[in-house]
Amino acid sequence: MKRFGIGGAALLLALALGYAMLELGPARLDLRPAVAAHLADSGVRHPVTAVLLNYRGYDTLLEVAVLLLALFAILAVTPPGPARRPAPADPLLQMLARLAVPLMLVASFYLLWAGAFRPGGAFQAGAVLAAALVLLHLTGQLPGWPTPGALLRGGLAAGLLVFLGVAAALLIEGSLLQYPPAWAGRLILLIEFCLTGSLGLILAGLFLFLCQAEGERR
Amino acid sequence: MIDAQQAALVGLILLPLASGAAAFLLGPGRGAGLCIASQAAALFFALQLADSVLAGDIARHRIGGWGAPLGIDLTADGLAAAMLLLTQAVALPLALYARAYFRPDSAEVRYFWPLFGLLLAGLNALFVSTDLFNLYVTLELVGLAAVGLVGIGGGALQIAAALRYLFATLLGSGAYLLGVALIYGAYGSVAVASLTPLVAAEAPTLVGLAAGLMLLGLLLKTALFPCHYWLPPAHGGAAAPVSALLSALVVKASFYLILRLWLGPLAPLTASHPLLPWLPALLGAGAILWGSWQAIRAPRLKTMIAYSTVAQLGYLFLIFPLLGTPGGRAAGILHAVAHGLAKAAMFTAAGVLIKATGQDRIAALAGAAQQLPLTLFAFGLAGVTLMGLPPSAGFLAKWQLLDAALGQGYWGIVLITLSGGLLAAVYVFRVLRQAFLLTSSKTTVAPVPRTLEWTAFGLAGASLLLGLRGVELVELLAVWGWE
Repeated sequence: MKRFGIGGAALLLALALGYAMLELGPARLDLRPAVAAHLADSGVRHPVTAVLLNYRGYDTLLEVAVLLLALFAILAVTPPGPARRPAPADPLLQMLARLAVPLMLVASFYLLWAGAFRPGGAFQAGAVLAAALVLLHLTGQLPGWPTPGALLRGGLAAGLLVFLGVAAALLIEGSLLQYPPAWAGRLILLIEFCLTGSLGLILAGLFLFLCQAEGERR
Repeated sequence: MIDAQQAALVGLILLPLASGAAAFLLGPGRGAGLCIASQAAALFFALQLADSVLAGDIARHRIGGWGAPLGIDLTADGLAAAMLLLTQAVALPLALYARAYFRPDSAEVRYFWPLFGLLLAGLNALFVSTDLFNLYVTLELVGLAAVGLVGIGGGALQIAAALRYLFATLLGSGAYLLGVALIYGAYGSVAVASLTPLVAAEAPTLVGLAAGLMLLGLLLKTALFPCHYWLPPAHGGAAAPVSALLSALVVKASFYLILRLWLGPLAPLTASHPLLPWLPALLGAGAILWGSWQAIRAPRLKTMIAYSTVAQLGYLFLIFPLLGTPGGRAAGILHAVAHGLAKAAMFTAAGVLIKATGQDRIAALAGAAQQLPLTLFAFGLAGVTLMGLPPSAGFLAKWQLLDAALGQGYWGIVLITLSGGLLAAVYVFRVLRQAFLLTSSKTTVAPVPRTLEWTAFGLAGASLLLGLRGVELVELLAVWGWE
């Protein structure tokens, strides 16, 4: 009964959304000209990166905090325990993983660098970095993470702290995250570089810290 | 360089964010001193901001210097300043309380301070944001931090409550985000300043649907009856300082956003039908009656206080038919402030009682008043505010509400408000009566740090004395900066 109720409500919402979409015309306000007009001052050549790191950089700053926060929440609910090393995988898989990881590092670095002029950037680069770490874990070559030590904590928080530091330092320009046009490119690259490392560790941590806890429970 | 007012506005967001991240760097269980110092500075900033807004100077900050709709603008008007002030005024004593409450080596305190810092940053950022998508990000900060705080320690009950809370809060923010996406599709902007005239000019069906989704999502996050199912286990099962933070502040954040949207960009839609404001009011009335009844029946102290929160949230929605009158608006926010202080006091006092007696059944509290007079006094004072007796801030809020309701001839609201006060008296006196029973057998009470008792007392005293400074608060709320 409950299942049918929820299913019916979802169907109703889908129909209402579909009906409402039909009468939807073009958006009343088009921000693309404004984005393009200030692109020269934004420090990057790709409009998406300009929106993410410059025009709406504050959103990105808080989103990085959200990711770090998700990690805090996971750490807070998992009891501390020793590291768990998974059973080593097939030697062939291990070798493939070892071959793939350097390539993934290169791909990650490329994505970071490409963000300035085409789709890419810190989040994508960080995701590839995290995938490399998870791959190593799944093939038994990287143990699950125990409670993070000082070095790992530094790496996890560095992205947010550097971003925060730059945002606060730019208050001397008149407002939060107000990049001077001459410095915008370099500052954005610095932020994205630190973010890539931290996001990679955070995303991998969401997996590797939990692996450790699961090992404990068995 | 920026002026003092802007520095206060930005500092209220950056300081807790930085202190939370720094507490994480310091290591598990550390960073208490840092977070307390940062909260003290934040309280100073909030006072400074409220002072300048009261003088008629609304704080505005254009992030990145772009200005909406390309960039994101922050605005602190009277309503935002009042909520910021409440948040810092509750968070500083709670930080002091939490430091004394958790044993330094306990599992609970390991990641408390990073979560605390990020929760405060999210709340402060939410109150001053004027961008619908940025508001979503702040909602996620607040929601995830709250879920993490409920789960600290990792006990089975806490994790179950945290998980249930996580699903409720994700469903709520998911619905809100869907609404924001639809609004962006229709208007091409998420900045309140550019949306307000656009919605007033033309609102297709899609926007009505979006508004409904956003408001329903936020109602779920505010735990308005009958969406309150997740609140009692989460608020009743968490550690006492966490319960206090959640009941006093977190549920108020989504209420604040509902009020903002209702009166701001969505006003043309919410004013489209005269019966629409009665829907939240009706649910609010249901919350008062049902929450109070459950609080009267609850066998455990913290469950009782959590159900009392469900009931008290009802008053916040009783004001919706009265929003046209200035008294109605003021009544809602006054009640949010009064309840924030009183509920923080009540949960902290309950924390002392639980720590001292080692259990939390109300029936077993007999004799507690002899052992812990200060704590029971704090509990009673907080109860005075919840019941709405003079001179408390709760009285002022109820007075404004009754005055506005009588002015409009809405007798139903008057009746519900008065009976809600009586029901609150029943559940408060149920605890006090039990605690003041004289026992022949000497109850054993563990020693409790004095800080715990005094912070509970301080919060309760503030909720009572705020009634004397109510005029300034009402004046502050009249400074409106979202249109």
